[in-house]
Amino acid sequence: MGIYPKSLERLIEHLSRLPGIGQKSAARIALHVLRSDKQLSEDLAMSLIAVKEKIRLCSVCFNITDDDPCRICSDENRADGTLCVVEGPGDQLALEEPGTFKGRYHVLHGVLSPLDGIGPKDLKINELLSRISKEKIREVILATNPTAEGETTASFIAGTLLKDRLDLKITRIALGVPMGGDLKYMDRMTIEHAMKSRMPVEL
Amino acid sequence: MDMHISPSIIMRIKEFGESDLIVTFFTRDHGRIKGVAKGARRSRRRFSNSLDLFCLSDVEYSLKSNGDIHFLHSSKLIKPFPGIRSDFSALSLASYMIELTEILFPQNIVEKRMFELLKNCFVLLSQGERMDCLRIFFETKAMSLGGYAVSLDKCCHCKRIYSGAGRAVFIPDRGGISCLKCERESEYSIGLEPEAVNILKTLQSESDGSPSEILQLDMKIINKIRHLLKLHIDYRIGRKIKSAEYLDW
Repeated sequence: MGIYPKSLERLIEHLSRLPGIGQKSAARIALHVLRSDKQLSEDLAMSLIAVKEKIRLCSVCFNITDDDPCRICSDENRADGTLCVVEGPGDQLALEEPGTFKGRYHVLHGVLSPLDGIGPKDLKINELLSRISKEKIREVILATNPTAEGETTASFIAGTLLKDRLDLKITRIALGVPMGGDLKYMDRMTIEHAMKSRMPVEL
Repeated sequence: MDMHISPSIIMRIKEFGESDLIVTFFTRDHGRIKGVAKGARRSRRRFSNSLDLFCLSDVEYSLKSNGDIHFLHSSKLIKPFPGIRSDFSALSLASYMIELTEILFPQNIVEKRMFELLKNCFVLLSQGERMDCLRIFFETKAMSLGGYAVSLDKCCHCKRIYSGAGRAVFIPDRGGISCLKCERESEYSIGLEPEAVNILKTLQSESDGSPSEILQLDMKIINKIRHLLKLHIDYRIGRKIKSAEYLDW
């Protein structure tokens, strides 16, 4: 038997199932909810239900959205012939934040990972191929993360795309020294990439 | 807590909390270890890109006396094996090697020769060695180190010494060969030419030389040994290896 009343125990149990929240954090959050206004609990419960009921995948880019197609896919100004391929919705948000990219996205929902039993058929790669012919895409930017699996996914997609469309421009996001980084602490692969993809200085 | 530094192959990584990683790595000195790397996803100094899958890194870690999860202090990249990162077939084979190692060597079982085998195979894979040869090379040696070497010296039924001249039959449930007097060839008990038996012997010994040199690039022998190893591994391991599905893509 737990030390808290049953209903509170249940809330702690549910909260502790969330990623990154252990028993202690769950108890702290549950006690905070208990001390707060009823309005907070109602808003929280309603937004949790709304997320499950309203959020779905955009039928074009497969990003998460309230409306189908999503805001970016229904914006005609963003149909500039470039398509940025990302691993997941979080990556799309990160690329959207600076506001410099004006094209559209395609969300793969994962990377090739034989260790976890994830192969090409488990990602939105076929959907990407059909989009490219339908939407008159001229450039595909491969923005998967520079991990072993992300890099392999990028080269697998590049190889698959080039089989059908030799005229397609395929680019990969740059790799190198990050802002505020320190060369002394960089690994050799990052330094190698940074030196290979060095840019002319423009004044 | 004891502090150690070992060259290690990164086997699995899993995001944990805001910025931590749970890392499984195969060390030269303490076998397979699982540990938490605090702040690794944000770290630019302590872990700087050295905890990616299949990388060879010098890992500094402490072993906890109780529990399975140990503690990683820092790591430094030694070899990233770029050839594995650019090709799906290479990634699949590297994943297969990792999975087979995990099955054969449970946590904290120390086997320096297995670490060297895994490292050398990753070097060869990254350099573009023929994957069918490399797979046979790894499977034979890994099974051997794991205690499941194919018995090739005598008939597993009548115990007659195999002279290395005649045809033999592989019996999966015995993990060895039989003479033709004791066993007939079938789909399950495959027949082996003396060359195939001798090459397997060489692979199972502490042989030097590259996999394609040992296998002499004879497709008939390669296919025969591959079939034998599949039967042998399926029988001994008794479970599905996830990444095996992608090896022939």
